[in-house]
Amino acid sequence: MAKVLIPTPLRQYAEKQSAVDLNGATVGDVLAALTSRYGELKRHLYTDEGRLRSFVNVYVNDEDIRFLDKDKTGLQDGDTVSIVPSIAGGTAAVADPVAAPVTLSKEEILRYSRHLIIPEVGMDGQLKLKQAKVLLIGAGGLGAPLGLYLAAAGVGRIGMVDFDTVDFTNLQRQVIHGTKDVGRKKLDSAAESMMDINPHVQIDKHETALTSENALEILKDYDIVIDGTDNFPTRYLVNDACVLLGKPNVYGSIFRFEGQATVFAYEDGPCYRCLYPEPPPPGLVPSCAEGGVLGILPGTIGLIQATEAVKLILGIGEPLVGRLLLYDALTMRFRELKLRKDPGCPVCGEHRTITKLIDYQEFCGIPQHAPETLANAADIEPRDVKAKIDKGDRFVLIDVREPHEWQIGHIPQAKLIPLGELPKRINELDSADEIIAHCKSGARSAKAVEFLQQSGFKKVRNMKGGILAWSDQVDPSVPKY
Amino acid sequence: MVAHAESTFPNECCGAMLGVSDGVEKQVSVASPIENAYQGAQNARYELRPEDLLAAEREARKQGMDLIGIFHSHPDCDAYFSETDLKNSCPWYSFVVLSIKGGKFDHANSFLPNLDQTAAEKEELIYG
Repeated sequence: MAKVLIPTPLRQYAEKQSAVDLNGATVGDVLAALTSRYGELKRHLYTDEGRLRSFVNVYVNDEDIRFLDKDKTGLQDGDTVSIVPSIAGGTAAVADPVAAPVTLSKEEILRYSRHLIIPEVGMDGQLKLKQAKVLLIGAGGLGAPLGLYLAAAGVGRIGMVDFDTVDFTNLQRQVIHGTKDVGRKKLDSAAESMMDINPHVQIDKHETALTSENALEILKDYDIVIDGTDNFPTRYLVNDACVLLGKPNVYGSIFRFEGQATVFAYEDGPCYRCLYPEPPPPGLVPSCAEGGVLGILPGTIGLIQATEAVKLILGIGEPLVGRLLLYDALTMRFRELKLRKDPGCPVCGEHRTITKLIDYQEFCGIPQHAPETLANAADIEPRDVKAKIDKGDRFVLIDVREPHEWQIGHIPQAKLIPLGELPKRINELDSADEIIAHCKSGARSAKAVEFLQQSGFKKVRNMKGGILAWSDQVDPSVPKY
Repeated sequence: MVAHAESTFPNECCGAMLGVSDGVEKQVSVASPIENAYQGAQNARYELRPEDLLAAEREARKQGMDLIGIFHSHPDCDAYFSETDLKNSCPWYSFVVLSIKGGKFDHANSFLPNLDQTAAEKEELIYG
């Protein structure tokens, strides 16, 4: 004989009793006896398919039967069976009031027919997609495939954050923009492509840089955030904002032939800070603009992110949570690293020290205003370098870029010494000479200048803006890249 | 309820409402805070431990009352019944949502979910 405790709201269906003694060897037997004695109770405890309703938990004494043998959990004489509702909630996930039911038009049913006939998607899934609100941070390499496919898949509302314009260097990979779009705002160009594919989608254009001031306000209206950024301050900003708002952050990053993807801040999973508590020193990890990227790579990684976003919306499959997927295009191999939530994580751990957004530029060691240092005093404009050449001044111009960049274009008077080779080739330079260094845009040559100064060279200068500025100021026939 | 919701700001608070019901009107006499057991960002989520609910029910019975409702707060957000609230609710109780903006109580609403958790009816709140 076991005692079943009836929760207050259900007593009206059990002749107002608070406890009922019933016979049965298992929990399942006892509950069957209960619902056969009080027929009305059945509807409240079980769905039409005969499963316990999602909010109903059953305890034997102090143990949840889900962690015992479920409905086969054995009962001893004198055991107490409790029916306890599970209750939770919050403003996260879908932050809309319960709205009028959403439906698909005939045209939409045709459009999504290949989804509708997959049992795992079906009408329910397609309606979930239609009601979903996804935010893409960046309308660039990763944002391009994401925007196109998520619009095509029928994600009802897609926000995009970007403030850039399309230029020729984007077209090798950002397939959402075309040649005719060069010079246009990326948001306008991307929205036009997406609306062309699927006019049923609402596109929110957020033409701004994501900052600590606006991030929470922009992110709060969306269910899922997809990070397609290429810099560390924004990555930490997106991560922290997602953790604080309780929204999943579908992460992807790309470099040359390699990419990574995972889902951060989803339920109890780890966040970006659990993986990378500290940013790398500024300049150590090159961006795509500095290091290059295989044009197809963001397609592969962006679509892994799109797949994860759609799975989260549909609630199907096994999300890429707690696993960092590594992709190497050259060997065509995928690998997976296990990620663990860090209990000491400052933003999602047990003792949180970050409870609001911080200054991410400062956190990543990037000075907001370039300080007027000695290195700046050593800067020289490309037009002044040209004037020195024309005057016949005696000086050595060194190009510290890589040989494959040299092939794209170079200054005839320059000598190629890649930055990495500078220490062992320093004997090719004479500290009595005036030396001017240049690279693509001025960052690497600043390091070369610093190195040479530390090595005892007194007359070293950095050509400001690199060969890009040279092309602007001196010789437009030198191609920009 | 308001004091508890303001004190936990910017996190969501939650608790039990004890009182009596005549089948039409429910009268709350005691609001009893329960720890928010959500393992994650609590500024947008709450979760009640079943054992805490059991204890609240026991406490209510001891005082000759019933557990008739659950309350929780929405920090810096209106007092609507979100999809998350609905999907994780239970039709046995009334759900009072308190909107707390900038740490101060703004407004509240009460909802009664249906059996299939597909919709929630708004209930009239009578203060006093």
